[in-house]
Amino acid sequence: MVEKNTPALEFWQRLNRNRLSTVGLLMLGLIFVLCLITPWLPLPDPDATDLANRLKTPLTSNHLLGTDELGRDLLSRLLWGTRVSLVVGFVATLAAALVGSLIGLVSGYFQGWIDSGLMRGVDTLMAFPYMLLALAIVAAFGPGLLNALFAIAIVNVPFFARTVRGATISLVQREFVLAARLGGASHFGVLWRELLPNILPVIVVTISTTAGWMILETAGLSFLGLGAQPPTADLGSMLGEGRKLLFTAPHVSTLPGLVILILVISLNLLGDGVRDVLDPRLRGGALRSPQPRTEVLSAELGSAQVRSTEKLVIRNLTTELFQQGQAKPLVRNVDFELRPGECLGLVGESGCGKSVTALSLAALAASPPLRIASGTVELDGEDILRLPLRLLQDIRGKRVSYIFQDPLTTLNPVLTIGEQLIQVIRRHQSLSSRASYTEALHLLSRVRIPSPETRMKAYPHQLSGGMRQRVCIAIALANRPEVLIADEPTTALDVTIQAEILSLLNDLRKTTLKDSQTGKKTGLSVLFITHDLGVVSTICEKVAVMYAGQIVEFGETKSILESPQHPYTQALLACTPRLGAKHKVLGGIPGTPPPPGSYPSGCGFLDRCKVASVKCQDPVHLMQLSSNRQVRCVLKQGANA
Amino acid sequence: MLKKQIRVMLLLSFLLLSFGLTIQAATPKDVLVVAQIAEPKSMDPATVTAVNDFRILMNVYDGLVRYRSGTLEVEPGLAESWTISDDGKVYTFSLRQGIKFHDGSPFNAEAVKFNFDRMLVKDHPYAETGPFPLSFFFSAIKETTVVDEYTVRFRMDDPYAPLLSNLAYPTGLIISPEAVKKHGKDVGRNPAGTGPYQFREWKSNQHVILDRNGSYWDGQAGLKSVVFRPITDANTRVAEMLSGGIDMMVEVPPDNVATFSSNTSYALHEQAGPHLWFLILNLKEGPLQDKRVRQALNYAINKQALVENVLQNTATVASGPTPAAFSWAYNDALQPYPYDPAKARELVKAAGAEGATLTFYVTEGGSGMLDPVPMGTAIQADLKAIGLNVKIETYEWNTFLGKVNPGLEGKADMAEMAWMTNDPDTLPFLALRTSAWPDQGGFNSGYYSNPQVDELLEQARVSTSQTVRAALYKEMQRIVHDDAPWVFVANWKQNAVTGSNVQNFRLEPSFLLLLHKVSKN
Amino acid sequence: MLRYTIHRLLLTIPVLVGISVVVFLIMALIPGDPATAILGAFATPENATKLRAELGLDRPLIEQYFTWAGNLLSGDFGRSYALNRPVLDELLERLGPTLLLAGSAMCVCVLLGLIAGLLAAVKQYTWVDQGLTLFTLIGISAPSFWLGLMAVSLFTVQLGWLPASGMYTPYGDESLGDLLVHLLMPAVTLGLVASSVIARLTRTSMLEQLRQDYVRTARAKGERETAVVIRHAFRNALVGLIPVLGLQAGFVLGGAVYIETVFQWPGIGRMLVNAISTRDILLVQGGVMMVATIYVFFNLLADLIQHALDPRIQHSHG
Repeated sequence: MVEKNTPALEFWQRLNRNRLSTVGLLMLGLIFVLCLITPWLPLPDPDATDLANRLKTPLTSNHLLGTDELGRDLLSRLLWGTRVSLVVGFVATLAAALVGSLIGLVSGYFQGWIDSGLMRGVDTLMAFPYMLLALAIVAAFGPGLLNALFAIAIVNVPFFARTVRGATISLVQREFVLAARLGGASHFGVLWRELLPNILPVIVVTISTTAGWMILETAGLSFLGLGAQPPTADLGSMLGEGRKLLFTAPHVSTLPGLVILILVISLNLLGDGVRDVLDPRLRGGALRSPQPRTEVLSAELGSAQVRSTEKLVIRNLTTELFQQGQAKPLVRNVDFELRPGECLGLVGESGCGKSVTALSLAALAASPPLRIASGTVELDGEDILRLPLRLLQDIRGKRVSYIFQDPLTTLNPVLTIGEQLIQVIRRHQSLSSRASYTEALHLLSRVRIPSPETRMKAYPHQLSGGMRQRVCIAIALANRPEVLIADEPTTALDVTIQAEILSLLNDLRKTTLKDSQTGKKTGLSVLFITHDLGVVSTICEKVAVMYAGQIVEFGETKSILESPQHPYTQALLACTPRLGAKHKVLGGIPGTPPPPGSYPSGCGFLDRCKVASVKCQDPVHLMQLSSNRQVRCVLKQGANA
Repeated sequence: MLKKQIRVMLLLSFLLLSFGLTIQAATPKDVLVVAQIAEPKSMDPATVTAVNDFRILMNVYDGLVRYRSGTLEVEPGLAESWTISDDGKVYTFSLRQGIKFHDGSPFNAEAVKFNFDRMLVKDHPYAETGPFPLSFFFSAIKETTVVDEYTVRFRMDDPYAPLLSNLAYPTGLIISPEAVKKHGKDVGRNPAGTGPYQFREWKSNQHVILDRNGSYWDGQAGLKSVVFRPITDANTRVAEMLSGGIDMMVEVPPDNVATFSSNTSYALHEQAGPHLWFLILNLKEGPLQDKRVRQALNYAINKQALVENVLQNTATVASGPTPAAFSWAYNDALQPYPYDPAKARELVKAAGAEGATLTFYVTEGGSGMLDPVPMGTAIQADLKAIGLNVKIETYEWNTFLGKVNPGLEGKADMAEMAWMTNDPDTLPFLALRTSAWPDQGGFNSGYYSNPQVDELLEQARVSTSQTVRAALYKEMQRIVHDDAPWVFVANWKQNAVTGSNVQNFRLEPSFLLLLHKVSKN
Repeated sequence: MLRYTIHRLLLTIPVLVGISVVVFLIMALIPGDPATAILGAFATPENATKLRAELGLDRPLIEQYFTWAGNLLSGDFGRSYALNRPVLDELLERLGPTLLLAGSAMCVCVLLGLIAGLLAAVKQYTWVDQGLTLFTLIGISAPSFWLGLMAVSLFTVQLGWLPASGMYTPYGDESLGDLLVHLLMPAVTLGLVASSVIARLTRTSMLEQLRQDYVRTARAKGERETAVVIRHAFRNALVGLIPVLGLQAGFVLGGAVYIETVFQWPGIGRMLVNAISTRDILLVQGGVMMVATIYVFFNLLADLIQHALDPRIQHSHG
């Protein structure tokens, strides 16, 4: 839903979040105020000539900024000139916005021949070198501010028309517009009441980002002597008149140039701010791009334990969201390990921290805003979180690889499947391009993609969702990894495809085991993240249930499914369809989980738990029930104690 | 990695830059680079009107006669001598012998006839190589006859005193008939004359290059080549001069004159000439119909301040319609209207024109217009001081001419204008006579009409005695000064700057640029 | 692709026809006529009328348009009144310099813009980013003609490093080096402003791309960061930037008018300004047609490159 009527207050608050645009606003405000009070300032007449006192340098008595070639006071002319330039620039912008938006709206709304007609017209205008068009228009109508304004407005109409047309087209097929049309609203009504309010932000953004440009163009015309007529000052004509004195009295042209620069800079700063606030893509605040690796806070070294049989050991992992000086933990003190050849399921509702856990393992959690506050991830006893980036990169994709949820967005849209597959092969293995091609083909057939040769040349969007996920699996397996982290790999797929992918993963895991040629029991260890306990039962040997950033229950799949100990696991199981329980009514767990980052210090499930007690408000520890069974619940604590 | 690439790139661009600085070519020592104010239109002397074009042409072509150096008096050129019949209607020229055009064809009486017939005879086979806007300089000539190979005769119906002076004007330069026949309309880009330099190359907006004519009849030129560069922007011309990119620039902006005159690396040249900067006043309608208001304008405008400050003494105050440079015809008894705002206000009041609004056409530039916008603005301020509101409209030069030449009626009350002429007859004859009103093909855009002035001008034109003509012109000046159909503002002192290594250069009162004797060391 | 190319080529025809009509009408509307311009200060109404008849300017507009357009199609651009030479000769002589200037400015613009935008995005919120942001902000906020003047004042008059104007040293050797020295200031001034626009867009676009899932995938694959930035994020950002580059070509061609004037570059832009002021109708019409055609084809090229780079766009829509 596009928000309507954004409260003005919120707008200002958001705008002021961008400090630069606040600066722009202040500068512009200052200029505005100065221009408004100019007539009452104790300034000499801007047009009063005094030939005896011409070309005085700045800071002469009576003339703070000096005088021009006719002895007129420069400060006074600059202020009066800024007034003129501002008015002309803004009126031209508004005129262009009005006409351009109208053309864009009509064109985008009606489409068809009206659209092509109008757009060819707009193309025609755009194909003209803009300055020549403006020159020709001014030549046709004679010089003067009004005509310059007119010319600048015309030249900029196409820009608005195109932008608004694009925005309109994207809205025309939306439900609310269709509903209004079906409801019998007139074309005008739809345009006026439905489209315009939603296009308005686009228009405002375009205005705010072009106003500065328009002022520059007006100055350009005046510079060529086609704008304001003497003695009226505007910034461009002052610059134009002063230019021939560049070498003898540089201040006469430098000062108006600087004023234009400051004026346009402040307009652009403000424009950027307005754009950030109103552009839906930028709404989350300033864009902050994730760094190559997650920031790791503590310098704690690996515990250097005796080398265990575990492949991957995660200890005390805490990942937090760090924004505006506040740290909110998303994953809290997570411990688990993964044995060679083992498949561990990490289960929980969305927002419980399981994906963040998965991404933290290879320091891939988006940082900023995420960061790892503590903990270690040891691969064969080596803490990979604190490895230098280059060594970490050598592990990623080779020893530890990932499969992500949405195979459409996780593949690079502009590279072919083959390129993306070959890239990862050649990154970690020194193979010739021919050998890597053969290897890629082999991988594709291993993930059961039919006619792999043709698929190699296909782009992601040309494949079905299932096929794309198979490609992702092929990429993940390309370098025979030791650990595979699958982050909800089937969630975005149809049920039938889900089953296919699951059986593929299962088969691959087993083949990999067989493939291992060393005597030791190495093999592919899988961390399988899902919210679906049904899926877990088909593939995982062990399960860790996560809730509110913590592991609340851990154990063998079979035992967890058969005798869940934690109330949350029980509730979760109760809403999972199972074979043999056909007519059971499935319901969700009542209530909602605590929002990520705002986890209580006590049991996170407290509010939704049927058996909660006062003790649940204190921190709860993970209890060892048996050698392979852990649970985090006060009830079990009592039982054990 | 990324950093390293950037460093390499920075290093590369730095190397490229420093490499570039050392590889800038130098202009050879015996080549003179002259900055022109605009791209020439054509190098066919019969078709051009601008001083800018004349500056090149005078070095490529010769006329039958030419101005003696430092004066506006004529001396022999391609013609060794001439005789004028007693009635002043027949001019016979004997031509220099053995001269060849740059294209190798011979210069003779036939060539002279071809040149004038091309301009004047409507059905001449090469008449379509025109138009010839200044052919009216010679319209008095009714017939050109070849007497023998080196004698040519012009016959007129009435005596026409300015003829010799007009022949010395660039429109009278002689072009090779063979070149015209060969190139037709394109002869303007493939010129062949007899002058001290011959055409080598014309690249649009880059340069026109002339090379020394090794067999020039009047002694070889001092330079191997001359390069004319069109640099339309005055500021850029100054920058080029300051950075040594050019050897000579003409029309130095007034405010830069001091920069060059105070520096010994440059030589500043100045020369007063027959130039007049004035305001045309509309006598047909509005407050300026009243002579008192017109005189008031002359009193109100502080010409001294304009000349000293805006023009930085690159001009002198004008006293009347005839510039002092025509010394024999100039009435030195006339004084410029003094700056007297009080008297001006009185006159305006007496005429009941207080608070009147006047529309004022101002141009942005143009041949001889000096600094038209600041001058117009200063004039506007002066007139405001005596209670007249002036509304300025500025136009680019050609539009401006398109508006002014057809007459100011219904459009404006006053307009800036400047003329550079070669004979005291030209300006008043074309712009002050009753029969020179725009509808009769003249340039009297302000509709001045005084039968006495008309009569004086007609007489002066047909008189063959310079003394008689001088008296007539002086009387004309007195009347026009009093009638004040114009505001007489300034007479320009033409200027040019050269590097101090440029020798034997002087500006001519004719505003023409002669480089024959110039050398560079 | 071929079908799409043909389709787009056909679409340019109405645009070019439109341009020809507009330029013709504007020139017809402009007061002041070539007759006055040719005859100079000595133009009398009588002479002007005669000349106008000779030039065919007294005939009906429609007739004039079709005569002109017909001649244009057969490669006859007519004759310039003011220059007294065929329009085509003049245009061809100036086309090279303009393409050279605009081309180098585009190179400056693309190189500087893309690199600066890329750097700013990758080094987001560091001093590199802030410095570049400030620089590009000034770039889009300063009048290009003013920058040009300041550059001449500094590099030519004060420092004496670079020539003030022109394309070659007069009577010099016309070597490549000489050309480059003369080209540097105008091309950089012209390209700088355009590059600021590109840099800002590149930065935003890169920041957007760097947040995408596929970048995470690339990192999960163990790709080096340079490859992640260049091969993945930048490659995708470029797809969206190509049409902007096309538009910038128009901007550069338009801005060339000022820059050619300030630096006395012998190109079409400066010629057109002169031609408009001398009412040299055929020269203006021919010049604008040529510039517009270059622009239209540049955009076509940008469009085709975008299609080649972005496999997602279907080759059917208009």
